Amino acid sequence: MSQTTPVPPPPPPVTHAPPPYVAPAVDPTGPVAPPVARPVADPTAPSLWAEPASEAAEPSAPRVGGIRDDQLPGRLDVLHLSQWFNKRKVLERCSLSMEPGEVTALIGPSGCGKSTFLRALNRMHELVPGAELSGQVLLNGVDIYGVDMSPTEVRLRIGMVFQKPNPFPAMSIADNVLAGLGLSGSKTDDPEWLVEQCLRRAGLWTEVKDRLGESGMSLSGGQQQRLCIARSLAVHPDVLLMDEPCSALDPISTRVIEETIRELCHDITIVIVTHNMQQAQRVSDQCAFFLVETLGEPGRIVEHGPTERMYSNPSDPRTLDYVNGRFG
Amino acid sequence: MPDAPAPDGASFEDVPRPIVQSRTFGDRVFRGVSAGAAATCLLIMITTGVFLTWKAFPAISATGPVEFLTGDTWQPDDEAFGVGGLLVNTIMIALTALLIGVPIALGLALFINEYSPARMRPYLTGGVDLLAAIPSLIFGMWGLYALSEPLSGVAEWLASHLNAIPLFRLTEPDVSLTRSTFIAGFVVAIMITPVITSVSRDVMAQVPRVQCEGALGLGGSRWGMIRDVVLPFGKSGIVGSILLGFGRALGETIAVVLVIDLVFQPNLNILEQGSGSISALIATKFGEAQGLEINGLIAAGLALFIMTLIVNLIARAIVNRSKLTG
Repeated sequence: MSQTTPVPPPPPPVTHAPPPYVAPAVDPTGPVAPPVARPVADPTAPSLWAEPASEAAEPSAPRVGGIRDDQLPGRLDVLHLSQWFNKRKVLERCSLSMEPGEVTALIGPSGCGKSTFLRALNRMHELVPGAELSGQVLLNGVDIYGVDMSPTEVRLRIGMVFQKPNPFPAMSIADNVLAGLGLSGSKTDDPEWLVEQCLRRAGLWTEVKDRLGESGMSLSGGQQQRLCIARSLAVHPDVLLMDEPCSALDPISTRVIEETIRELCHDITIVIVTHNMQQAQRVSDQCAFFLVETLGEPGRIVEHGPTERMYSNPSDPRTLDYVNGRFG
Repeated sequence: MPDAPAPDGASFEDVPRPIVQSRTFGDRVFRGVSAGAAATCLLIMITTGVFLTWKAFPAISATGPVEFLTGDTWQPDDEAFGVGGLLVNTIMIALTALLIGVPIALGLALFINEYSPARMRPYLTGGVDLLAAIPSLIFGMWGLYALSEPLSGVAEWLASHLNAIPLFRLTEPDVSLTRSTFIAGFVVAIMITPVITSVSRDVMAQVPRVQCEGALGLGGSRWGMIRDVVLPFGKSGIVGSILLGFGRALGETIAVVLVIDLVFQPNLNILEQGSGSISALIATKFGEAQGLEINGLIAAGLALFIMTLIVNLIARAIVNRSKLTG
């Protein structure tokens, strides 16, 4: 599995071909085929990174590795995504649109393919031998598995925050924030500014501003997770994927991260996997419910739509049972 | 309940309380067996050291300890046993081996861990371990018959093109370039490469998966991940593996005996004929040695014993530290 050669999505092997795709009857949001036009940012959304006065005076030169002036949240459209591990199908024909500037929560019981789905959105499965997929993932209309996209470019534009906080132990707090630049070979002309902006947006600045040189491991779990969020922001992604970011954290840290998510979503499209149904209700605008209907079958999206409706008046009874804690 | 009466034998005084462990019979037997094994190991080590020191003493006192460690004459009839030159040559062979072997070993370890197809990985790992199991005599013969010729060609090229480097400068224009430190070092490099590969690969494979994913998830390239995550994580383990290889190179005997001409003078021109190592000295001379020369050879062995002991202790300490902090 090469890093440099983009792997075109393999067609579904004949032996594993699913029954003809039928759009779920419960899907009230209509066709899965997305509009692919680049979205326009909501001008009323408050900007979290208003540049300092001295910066604003400068001509708006492209700030490599910094935060671009023209940054818009990205739009992700997943079309008929199926995923296999060693020929075992774990996800079947999942289609979902993640709207720019919104938080989409992926909910469902353990083992239903939420994390698998999320990791397919920035090509993380390519690290796993035996992983294959079909379907398309479109970032602003461009297939991220297409021949023109390298995995590194995809992951630069679609960042990821993992379940377990994973700051780089050998680096200081500031270096952790800047790690993405070094890793991807880009540079910034004002690293201190970038570190401060990213830490501010991740809600960590006031806690660490006097100890930027200390190791990232000296922070608490919740702080480490926010450091990881800041680290992802430094490469200015269009989309941020979060795989149960609060599952290892205490309730107070969880609340801080949820506030951070609500702040960030004005500028970055966020997709979050969570086991915590209250959390999904608190942070998300859209919600998708994944389920393995009978044991051994692949996971499917049962229903998706605005969070409010999913929690109050879902069209599928299984969704209602799940969000009310009657199973899973 | 500060005033509650203490049960029998217990006390509520605010002092650390002794805790007595009771061991089961099986536990006690196993503990005895394993402690015995551990003690045997230490005992062998200590008796070897005591034996070497005891037998070496007459020769070292006859020559004088300073002369023994710095001299470069070996005249058993005059009771002159100087291994200083040989110590230098031993280290030169080992360093040459490291210079050649370390880049190959680390490249191989990284390739196996990070770049090779997953299906090939077990075969590559097994192949490296098999290489480590080939007796050094085989490498020595191969070095003598197959490598001497082509490598002296390489040595000629180095001497004529890189003679700005003092290491490669020749003392006389038409000196022989066979049976040199360079060729011995090359053969030893092949022998220590598997050890370094195997240990450093193990250390680098222990990098937590979440760290690697974190690096790649930030848009890092594979090389960026290796540079910023894998190598810093494995740093001390890699240094340790190199020192283990160095220790092994210092003690290598047969390959060196076959490939070099033993000289007692320190030879810093690694391309030129004539080199040597302590173990090669012992292997060549021990058969015919008599009287005090036997003690002299044992003294040389003691010097090698101490040198490898120190290198290995440092290596172990570094590897262990990497396991703790990693």
